[in-house]
Amino acid sequence: MIGKPIPRVEDARFVTGNGNYTDDINIEGQTHAAFLRSPHAHARLRSIDITAAAEAPGVIAVLLGQDYLDAGFQGVDHVPNPADAVISSQPAFLTSTTGSIFNQRHIPLPIDKVRYVGEAIAMVIASTPLEARNATELIDVDYDVLDAVVHGADAMHDSAPQLWDGAPGNLCFQTQIGERDKARAILAGAHLVVRREFHNSRIVNCQMEPRSAIGCHDAASDTYTLISGSQGAVRQKLCIAAALKVPPARLRVVCPDTGGGFGPRSFVYVEQLAVVWAARHVGRPVKWTSDRSEAFLSDYQGRDQIIRCAIGFSKDGRILAIDNEWIGNVGAHTVSYVPMSNGTRIMTTVYDVPVAAVHVSAVLTNTVPTAPYRGAGRPEATHAIERVLDLAAGELGIDRAEIRRRNLVAHDKLPYRSPMGLTYDSGEFLRNMERALTLAEWDSFETRRAASRAAGRLRGIGLANYIESPVGAPRERIEITVLPEGVIDIVSGTQSTGQGHETTFAQVIAEHLGVPMSAVRLRTGDTAFVSVGGGSHSDRTMRLGGMLLVEASARIVAQGRRIAASLAGCEPEHVDFADGKFVARHSRQATGLFELARLVQSDGLPGEPATRKLYADAEFNGRVPAHPTGAAVCELEVDPDTGSVALLNYTSVDDVGQPINPLIVEGQVHGGLAQGIGQALSEGCYLDRESGQVLTGSYMDYGMPRAGSVPPLRVELTEDPTLGNPLRVKGGGESGITPATATIFNALADALREIGTEELAMPATPKVVWEFIHRKEEHDHVN
Amino acid sequence: MIEVQLQVNGTDVRHAVPDHTLLVEFLRQTLRLTGTHVGCDTSQCGACTVNLDGVAVKSCTILAAQASGGTVVTVEGLAATADQPMHPVQQAFVQCHGLQCGFCTPGMIMAVDHYLRKPPALDDASICHALEGNICRCTGYVNIIEAVRHAAREMYPEACTAGEAGAGSERT
Repeated sequence: MIGKPIPRVEDARFVTGNGNYTDDINIEGQTHAAFLRSPHAHARLRSIDITAAAEAPGVIAVLLGQDYLDAGFQGVDHVPNPADAVISSQPAFLTSTTGSIFNQRHIPLPIDKVRYVGEAIAMVIASTPLEARNATELIDVDYDVLDAVVHGADAMHDSAPQLWDGAPGNLCFQTQIGERDKARAILAGAHLVVRREFHNSRIVNCQMEPRSAIGCHDAASDTYTLISGSQGAVRQKLCIAAALKVPPARLRVVCPDTGGGFGPRSFVYVEQLAVVWAARHVGRPVKWTSDRSEAFLSDYQGRDQIIRCAIGFSKDGRILAIDNEWIGNVGAHTVSYVPMSNGTRIMTTVYDVPVAAVHVSAVLTNTVPTAPYRGAGRPEATHAIERVLDLAAGELGIDRAEIRRRNLVAHDKLPYRSPMGLTYDSGEFLRNMERALTLAEWDSFETRRAASRAAGRLRGIGLANYIESPVGAPRERIEITVLPEGVIDIVSGTQSTGQGHETTFAQVIAEHLGVPMSAVRLRTGDTAFVSVGGGSHSDRTMRLGGMLLVEASARIVAQGRRIAASLAGCEPEHVDFADGKFVARHSRQATGLFELARLVQSDGLPGEPATRKLYADAEFNGRVPAHPTGAAVCELEVDPDTGSVALLNYTSVDDVGQPINPLIVEGQVHGGLAQGIGQALSEGCYLDRESGQVLTGSYMDYGMPRAGSVPPLRVELTEDPTLGNPLRVKGGGESGITPATATIFNALADALREIGTEELAMPATPKVVWEFIHRKEEHDHVN
Repeated sequence: MIEVQLQVNGTDVRHAVPDHTLLVEFLRQTLRLTGTHVGCDTSQCGACTVNLDGVAVKSCTILAAQASGGTVVTVEGLAATADQPMHPVQQAFVQCHGLQCGFCTPGMIMAVDHYLRKPPALDDASICHALEGNICRCTGYVNIIEAVRHAAREMYPEACTAGEAGAGSERT
């Protein structure tokens, strides 16, 4: 079953309209919430008059931040500093030259000032969604508008407006990683130092399901229930219970079908906290569903990382040292430092770099908070080093593929420890690149370039290599119960936001327990029965969950052997297990797994008559070393008259480890690639740099990829086996996206090489490209 | 309040609703047919696509009252029109892995259903044009385009010659 491209078992309900997303759920007696959101990027709240709103038709309550604090609650601790990529028991960032690592609790509605356009200020609870929304417009807020800062580098200026008292200079933290003095000494003597700044642009998450949350409170037991789609119910439970100052057992979090995650939905949102608080306040369930306009103003956003590279090369193109500066735009609240921790750790990617250092600044701005977005730091790091390699190749007169050959970590150097402290256990970096070059017909490109030129178009080809790191929440749990009625019940701490776990988990169980896939029932996303688990992000589900499925299955089989042995009167090691049956070698007596479960139910386990369930669990807390890796090539054409970029084809060679289901893995590559294409060419999240106003607040002005955005693809899966986990899983969710912007920007730079070598702004929209071509022409003309 | 009378998935329904009720609100809230989704508020995403009187429409952009007297097919009722557990378009989405999170899927399926109501052009440009009004964040559209071809081959076996159906993404 493992490795087969089986259509997904969960699809039947989705294609017939029987998915069950949060907004599809209605609770008896529910009320509806709407939020008043800030029109200013930065403003002190002088006063908030709710009188008219409170008297409006259908209004049950109008709540402010002070009401929340008066009820004795505290803000959410998002735990922005993630577990370290290597030593998962400690945080990724340990020290800061500012003295401490800033972590501001996030209260659902601010009491002092608003810090970004769209920040929720007040919450109205009413009988209908429309009444709630209408009433928000009757709230009278007296704002003292302050100067705003939205760009990460601007926020570091001495004169920049300050967001939080606890973070002077708008710095959450600032730290130096790696051997800076050594790197600088090497750069001082290097034949070539490439210095360039890359602003990896801000992304709006745009999962298709607008966020939604339903809060319930039972006064008799003082217990809460939150129903809300997310990337992991357990994290939501722990963070929200702590904010409400109740033991986690008093909050149940239910996560129904979730319409896309991509990272930001791993974290708690203030609206989720607000609906459970409000449910307690009004004594009735409270439901809220975002519209898309709110989503553009309040869904945590991705990227917005600035990387200033200084990379030294020898005359023959060998990387000698890296001394980078990394500025992460955290936004207005301390939600996550993950992009900086991931990105700096993987900074040298697949290249054998002797010495590396990076100076990291996490900066607060008057923008929507940022969170991990698919790849989370790794696409940013990949973009930077791959662009610099192309620039160095140009300076040194070395072929772009050749300069990479000279720098790739050789296979015989594995396990290889990078200067940033990651150890790569597997990966045929050179072979993957060569394969991608062959598939993309790299060597015959110049003929195609000439043909395009004859037709008046500028053709370019680009290449990028990538590797990822095994990060994410370190703790996971799997529980397996064999039910006599022929069901294998799996409880998993991780849950799908579209990755097809009901199918892939069933494939693993079918393989390891010899049962049909249809016998497997996966239950996830409800803390009533899920006790531990990290959710879906960072390619972690099959890496951790898969390992635990194998481990727990092995425990089921071991128990089954013991029971079958006691039935047959032999030793457990004389019982064979195959195709779901236990067979005693001497008597050939065969007992099926479900038959054993029935016996356990009636008689108990041998020697343990009280145990009436054939059950096993497995839990893990740590790091499973696995590094998805690969290479991508893109070919494109620029129309110099319009600046539009046409992707002609894209080649992706991906080592995701063993694919449990290649159909699903390829789908992940496609989706990640589309998001990478979107970031590279169209998804401009534009804010006014002075006022902080959002200029792209809907699908009408934010360039979502549409059908046809992805060019003809060649996706080839390959594997250099990892020994780090029994299923040899590395991860497929971020393969498509990690090299995408690097590959496309390298191809664009190649197409435009005769016009100029300055860095194009990201995304390279037709306007950006047209101006690059034509301003350059004007400039040349003047000179 | 205004009375809205519709045939929805073969059943006659009649409800008095506020005048401003959108067709999608009528379907989701009044009839509790939650397969039709709302993904935006600017008529861009197409998650709310249903069939009204033989034409795919964005049900967020038409009042229920405007639709009154009409015949609506939603994703829940699509299979009934094909007289089998799943409509060929639904089967094709499953077969080709044309969905991930599933949120845009009902709208996608209803848009494709409309496109395939007569023998369609199956080149990339024509299919992409037909899907222009529907946004997906998960799939990159690659397998959705594949699903359109797959369904077309099922529905129009004679019209879809091997050559015509072979255009599009290469796979190695």
